[in-house]
Amino acid sequence: MSGREAEVNVTKLVSLDQALDGLEDGMRVAVGGWIFNSQPMALVRGLLRKGLKSLDLVPAPGSIAPDLLIGAGAVRSTTCVFISFEQFGLAPHFRRHAEAGKIKVHDIDGPAFAAGLRAASCDLPFVPVPDLGTDLPRHAPEYYHELPVLPGERRLYAVPAIRPDVCLLHAQQADELGNVQFLGPPFFDVMLAQASRKVIVSVDRIVSSATLRRANHLTKLPRVMVDTVVELPYGAHPSASPSFYRSDEAHLRSYVKASRDPDAFRGYLQRYVEPAVNEAYLDAVGGSALGALNSSLGGRDTR
Amino acid sequence: MAETMAVLLSRDIADGEKAIIGTNSDLQVAACNLARLRQAPRLWWVSGPGGMVNPTRDYLTSTADHDNIDTAEAWMDLPDMIEFIDWRIHFFDFAILSAVQVDRFGNINTTLVGDPNRPTLRGPGTVGLSALCGLSRRFNIVMASHTPHSFVSTVDFISGAGHLDGGDSREQRGLPAGGPRLLVSPLGVFDFHPQSRAMRIRSVHPGVTVGQIRDATGFELLAEGTPPATAMPTDEELLLLRSRVDRDGKLRKRVA
Repeated sequence: MSGREAEVNVTKLVSLDQALDGLEDGMRVAVGGWIFNSQPMALVRGLLRKGLKSLDLVPAPGSIAPDLLIGAGAVRSTTCVFISFEQFGLAPHFRRHAEAGKIKVHDIDGPAFAAGLRAASCDLPFVPVPDLGTDLPRHAPEYYHELPVLPGERRLYAVPAIRPDVCLLHAQQADELGNVQFLGPPFFDVMLAQASRKVIVSVDRIVSSATLRRANHLTKLPRVMVDTVVELPYGAHPSASPSFYRSDEAHLRSYVKASRDPDAFRGYLQRYVEPAVNEAYLDAVGGSALGALNSSLGGRDTR
Repeated sequence: MAETMAVLLSRDIADGEKAIIGTNSDLQVAACNLARLRQAPRLWWVSGPGGMVNPTRDYLTSTADHDNIDTAEAWMDLPDMIEFIDWRIHFFDFAILSAVQVDRFGNINTTLVGDPNRPTLRGPGTVGLSALCGLSRRFNIVMASHTPHSFVSTVDFISGAGHLDGGDSREQRGLPAGGPRLLVSPLGVFDFHPQSRAMRIRSVHPGVTVGQIRDATGFELLAEGTPPATAMPTDEELLLLRSRVDRDGKLRKRVA
């Protein structure tokens, strides 16, 4: 009992550097969010500043988080459920590195992604998925093991547990104890956290535990599932943080443009990734650009 | 042309149907929201990858845009969403999907073109396409371009199963009957022969010839007699589309 009492008071709120301490080359890193929403960008930039290499990525359907990690040369392989820049085209670095054979891509689909994570969180060796007639099992046999079935039954595959070493997530708010609240959809984040050995969450703001308790249904990640939280305002920028700010379309467009040319991309990295503190990143983006993202209509793209 | 394609797809939607829409799908969203203003007021649609239910606005944004999350009447948890697609309950009536490549049996590819280890084009991946194509009652395909590179004899990677090798091969593989019904491209509308399941020309857009379509297609298209001209959007359809679905004219301004 005394041990449990002591735990109540343990803060999980740490600095960005402390949060990323212990991450090593070659780790299997899960990345949360969904396309242009809740990408854990400040954590990703911090991870790049550490100079980590040979990472095996397990990104939820994403955009700039996996693409920037790949573009900066930190990645040796990635599973790919979906990596897309939507209206801005194909993910520039993911595309280039895959086409040049510089990274290994394990193509899996949404059902296999969910099955593998579910297997890990349930401590099962695998979870089955039905055959859907695609070429995925042929190209990624490591993720689709055919199971024996009775005659006349449909073909099934066992998807082995997907157990990332560490999981990077961004949510809207948390308390110091590490209870994390989502003021919008948590996408695959809860499932990724349950499947991962270590869970690092950035939040736009730290609030009191009393504040969390007033709307405790929003606490999707209770503190036992979280290792560390970091307060990083606008930590999802240039993706959106639901309820707080929209995605920064102009920034995403400039990223895609910079990615066409090695010098321009180095310039992007110098300007946006190298600044060691989050405040310097926010200064580089600019206060008026950030402010415009808070309005429900201010960021509306009518072009 | 994007407006025309949205209107053509909207006509294939019946009232009360339940649809699922993929990512980067403003044209598909326009088709659904237009159908809801006309023949299908009780249409229910969900963003497959995002879980947003029935977002409605009078302007179009990318499916992944925060606006669509903000304006949804419900939001479904993604892990559950995947399960929901995945069981053989035929909950969904149709999906509308786009692709990098489509082949003569309506199999679609969003994954890669060329050698898997050194692809000439690396696409975004598969996400829910496998389940949508494999398990919805039907799906319709919208292709932004119609060239011999996008309309190929056999896709380089089956991300979503169409009629597989044609005939009854889809059912033989253990997938529920159904599969692709219509394909809309900038040149025409296509469907699949009821027995061979090979793609055939259903109608030709005004100003386009059958010869042009054949030249732009990397396989032999079936045709019965002289295919009719596509019935183009009516004034009423265009008025609704421009005033209540796509007020900013995003589709109108798009260069197809």
